[in-house]
Amino acid sequence: MVAQESDPVVDYKTLTVPVKSAVDKFDLLPAFLKVRGLVKEHIDSFNYFIDHGIHKIVEANKRLVCVHDPTLFLEYKRIYVGNPTVHVDLVEQKITPQMCRLSDRTYAAPIFVDVEFTKGNQPNKQIEQRQRMQIGQMPIMLRSSHCVLRGKDEAELAKLGECPLDPGGYFIAKGNEKVILIQEQLSKNRIIIDRDSKGRVSASVTSSTHETKSKTVFFMEKDKIYLQLNQFSKPVPIMIILKAMGIESDQEIVQMLGRDPRYGSLLLPSIQECYSEKIYTQKQALDYLDEKAGSTGAARARIRKEGEARKIIRDIFLANVPVSHGNFRPKCIYAAVMLRRMMDAILNSDTMDDKDYVGNKRLELSGQLMSLLFEDLFKTMNTHALEHVNSAYSKSNSAMLDFTSVLQRFSPITQGLERAISTGNWDLKRFKMHRKGVSQGLCRLSFIAALGHMTRISPQFEKTRKVSGPRALQPSQWGMLCPCDTPEGEACGLTKNLALMTHVTTDEEEGPIISVCQSLGVQDLASLSGEEIHSPTSFLVIFNGLILGKHKDPKRFANAMRKLRRKGKLGEFVSIFVNDQQRCVYVASDGGRVCRPLVIADEGVSRIKEHHMKELRDGVRCFNDFLRDGLIEYLDVNEENNAVISLYEHQDKDLNGEKNEVDRKSITHVEIEPFTILGVCAGLIPYPHHNQSPRNTYQCAMGKQAMGNIAYNQLFRADSLIYLLVYPQRPLLTTKSIELVGYDKLGAGQNATVAVMSYSGYDIEDAIVMNKSSLDRGFGRCITMKKYSVLKEKTDRIIRPQNEQNKQILDADGIAAPGEIIRNHDIYVNKQSPKNPRDSSALKDQVYVDSNAKYKGVEGETTVVDRVLLCSDTDDKLSIKCIIRHTRRPELSRINSREERKRSGMEKGGVGGMEEGGAKEQKGMEEE
Amino acid sequence: MDQRRSVSDLFNPLRPESNRNPPLYPSLIPKTLISLPKRGQNPSGAQKPPAMETTVSYQRFPKVRIREMKDEYCKFELRETDASMANALRRVMIAEVPTVAIDLVEIEVNSSVLNDEFIAHRLGLIPLTSDNAMRMRFSRDCDSCDGDGQCEFCSVEFHLNVCCDSDQTLDVTSADLRSAEASVIPVDLAVKALAMESSSTSYEAAEQRGIIIVKLRRGQELRLRAIARKGIGKDHAKWSPAATVTFMYEPDIHINEDLMETLSLDEKRAWIESSPTKVFDLDPNTGQVVVVDPEAYTYDDEVIKKAEAMGKPGLVEINAKEDSFIFTVESTGAIKASQLVLNAIDVLRQKLDAVRLQDAEENDFSELKAHLG
Ligand SMILES: [Zn+2]
Repeated sequence: MVAQESDPVVDYKTLTVPVKSAVDKFDLLPAFLKVRGLVKEHIDSFNYFIDHGIHKIVEANKRLVCVHDPTLFLEYKRIYVGNPTVHVDLVEQKITPQMCRLSDRTYAAPIFVDVEFTKGNQPNKQIEQRQRMQIGQMPIMLRSSHCVLRGKDEAELAKLGECPLDPGGYFIAKGNEKVILIQEQLSKNRIIIDRDSKGRVSASVTSSTHETKSKTVFFMEKDKIYLQLNQFSKPVPIMIILKAMGIESDQEIVQMLGRDPRYGSLLLPSIQECYSEKIYTQKQALDYLDEKAGSTGAARARIRKEGEARKIIRDIFLANVPVSHGNFRPKCIYAAVMLRRMMDAILNSDTMDDKDYVGNKRLELSGQLMSLLFEDLFKTMNTHALEHVNSAYSKSNSAMLDFTSVLQRFSPITQGLERAISTGNWDLKRFKMHRKGVSQGLCRLSFIAALGHMTRISPQFEKTRKVSGPRALQPSQWGMLCPCDTPEGEACGLTKNLALMTHVTTDEEEGPIISVCQSLGVQDLASLSGEEIHSPTSFLVIFNGLILGKHKDPKRFANAMRKLRRKGKLGEFVSIFVNDQQRCVYVASDGGRVCRPLVIADEGVSRIKEHHMKELRDGVRCFNDFLRDGLIEYLDVNEENNAVISLYEHQDKDLNGEKNEVDRKSITHVEIEPFTILGVCAGLIPYPHHNQSPRNTYQCAMGKQAMGNIAYNQLFRADSLIYLLVYPQRPLLTTKSIELVGYDKLGAGQNATVAVMSYSGYDIEDAIVMNKSSLDRGFGRCITMKKYSVLKEKTDRIIRPQNEQNKQILDADGIAAPGEIIRNHDIYVNKQSPKNPRDSSALKDQVYVDSNAKYKGVEGETTVVDRVLLCSDTDDKLSIKCIIRHTRRPELSRINSREERKRSGMEKGGVGGMEEGGAKEQKGMEEE
Repeated sequence: MDQRRSVSDLFNPLRPESNRNPPLYPSLIPKTLISLPKRGQNPSGAQKPPAMETTVSYQRFPKVRIREMKDEYCKFELRETDASMANALRRVMIAEVPTVAIDLVEIEVNSSVLNDEFIAHRLGLIPLTSDNAMRMRFSRDCDSCDGDGQCEFCSVEFHLNVCCDSDQTLDVTSADLRSAEASVIPVDLAVKALAMESSSTSYEAAEQRGIIIVKLRRGQELRLRAIARKGIGKDHAKWSPAATVTFMYEPDIHINEDLMETLSLDEKRAWIESSPTKVFDLDPNTGQVVVVDPEAYTYDDEVIKKAEAMGKPGLVEINAKEDSFIFTVESTGAIKASQLVLNAIDVLRQKLDAVRLQDAEENDFSELKAHLG
């Protein structure tokens, strides 16, 4: 019997039909990365801060005026950052990042201001001008617009001692590389409808403007709606707030909410409460609120002067909505929209916002964080100068008093910036910000570790949160955040990583966009009555959380806006999102939104044709040309909701010849490359779609631990500890991401032939039997380089060795010679200190005692002095760094030997414990 | 500048504690008989069995037939012995036949990109011609230099002095090693010299540039003294003269002709095709299935499975001949492949002699007994 089954029926007709070759868009990726780099979001945000943000901060606080004499003043005219320099012996010297790494300096550039000021306390003052007055040093991000590495080619970078594959995007503070992690935040100035911890429906807005930061919460309790604001001692009925803003008529309030009678009935209890408090007019409401103002009890409330409530409502309540000339109407409408959305949520819980939705989040990057820090320090400097001038003004010798001398004497900027970056503590009392671990030492375990560190997003929540919601994979993460790369354990799902093509936006000028909106037919709110705002024929237009007006034809408006964006008339990162459910058009240009490029498709036909790709390959077209020609555009998470994105070019029939269910006409965009949904670390995994998903997550964490090459300049670095592989290899099986990232140039690991056998003895999990001959021949051999620093105090001396014991490796200058084998107890710096450091008179040999640096190594290990670096530190003391090298080969797992196990206390649990410990980590080597 | 530093390859594992545990292959010792008490005969108690007793002999007389022999390659059959013998021979060839390799490097100047121990390691891995290795002394038991390992009886000195003064990258290769002894030179040079002599393949040989040690750029220099010593592959793979040594059991293939004849020609063909290697073929004249190359069989069982799947179990019977081995020996070039086999036999004999001497002196078979149960 022939047990052969007949082959499944194959329709050779469909198989032989030539596959319509889709345009291979892969080449766009290298082009994209060439233009943007791997950590462009960091660099972009820092550039924005240095080139624009810093001006805005100074502009907002430009004038310092003495309280006693308004003619004594200082005005900042201009602020700018110079090139990275350092002062050595009063001489300005240009510095490179590598110099900073080696000599424990901060890579920083001077901040200059041009000022106008007056002097002295005489009535007739001359206005003086001063150019290029330095007020501090700004740490410079590597490869940013002010960095010396900007725009350098490989040869030039090599000359500067820099690795061309290093992405930049970090700072160097006191010789240490520091990354400012991307911080995840709930978006500011947006209405979020949610259920609070007590299960009440609430609408909250976190307002953030240059002047104030506040949080406004509306919530419903026992059918009545209240406002919660820190400035009021307890929740205030919402109706009273509305009345205090000048809407005394209940009818108008109900009209502003909308015609639907359900809204009215939901509001009724609140209206009744207002009446039970006997508040009918604006005056009564304000008086009532004056009582409640102040967060600390009734005693202080009485002292408060009248008008306090008005001030709070104007400046703190919904601070993002501006009040011009006492016109509270925009604020009223905003509050009404909040109420309306709240009621929608009560009537239909589907309209509740999802806090975990990526579109409701903003990523804070180094630029924003540095900007906050700088603003705080700048204001501190100014207030200090003001205080000083105010107090010195009345004194007699104040004839020459002026602000510049004070500013020069006291500037917390250099210190403050440096300290924050090197400790990672952002303690800004002014902004009520107390965050730890904002910056971290850049992980140089491997090249991938450094890259992965730079794309990491640190979570907004505490890690102890038990809830699963924020940890779960969000569908809106698609293409923006890597679905695989997250740590295991407490931060699982909270700490995320950017995907390969993600871009994080920076702020964009609002004025031009608003006028574009208006010219496209957005009706201004001022001209509308409460009734008209929510008329069923129009959509509200909301720009960066502010209600701009309404539009009768939202689809046409959105299309017009998009057309302008594709033409380049609007910023490429402006997002237009039509929300049909909320009957709103959201236009956003604020910073911190995540977005990604997509190919535009007209009715499902990709705009990119083969000739475009050919031009790209021929080098006559770059990625930005694709953007400019309107072939590609950036979409943020919200606008993606208006798009239908196909993974590949649309096929009318699938492989089986069946009709595709998706209508070609509905497709608006085509993905550039599907694998770009993964991040840098997950991109290294070959065939990740064939793996069980947690395996990919594990690999993302482990890929960073692989030893190999760190950077092209790895042998010229002075990190405290580096691990290198003697014979690193390029992976035999590469992925497209590997080539894009440069992992094939700085590989980590070796290609091993592995035989898998399940038999006995070695069938223990995670055990491996290695070929001893391979180890002899260099497999897995690694180099460790450890730094030992010695600081020579001014009074210390380093002397020539006198043929003593343990001093054989010293050179005549008293410092270990490079290339010498250094053993346990060997002295590597023959240093002596005076017995009494204060007694600096006649220093004879007798007053010195040995304070030499002794090497503590393992007996029997052969370690070698690799390099010795001498430099003077910032205090002009001699700093000696010995890099000590040790080459190691793979060892039998220590835990395997009984002795070691005893020593490490594994045997505590008796025999059972031993077996467990012994078996788990067993790693054997066998001859042959 | 003139600081001398010596770096040996740091990773010599422990020296063997001279034959403390020699492998025991009692049945294979030629000529001399070590006779053992038969199992069960021996009382388990206090009485010591007599040391030399001529009761049963396990002695066999292995035969060798050489099939192919080149300088670096050799293939032979070993018959009438068992796997323990064959495996012992294989392991000795890999791990215990001595060669000469660089073991200590004294670096005078190294301004190359590779560090000292890196270069020392690379030097160690260069195969050196070791025809005299059997006659050399291990430096640890050399009398003339007190184990210093630097005398003519136990070591060979090499010098290397290269400096790059051009803008081109300079390859430092094994050809730059200057040996103090003409008989010990890098293998690739010896091969090249031989080729030049015979001049038949000179063109090909001229293309060879030697084994690269390190590459130098302008201004970089490498100056060192290296000591080559005798050693065995067990200590470090650099002393192993064998590139690959494998043996296989000779397969014994019996086709059940009667059953085979029940198959149609197509079925036969299908069955032949099921073998991943070309073991069987169809006789074009008789239409019979014949074994064309039994040694191509990899013991993969595919033909047996195929036969079962065709419903003809027992169509073919394949057994490994337990006492017949086909060896393939490839040498690194340190010694000739044929010499490697001979040296291995010598080494194995010496080891067994050591066992016998030890036993004779101590007259104690307890250890042996423990092994044999
Ligand atoms: Zn000797």
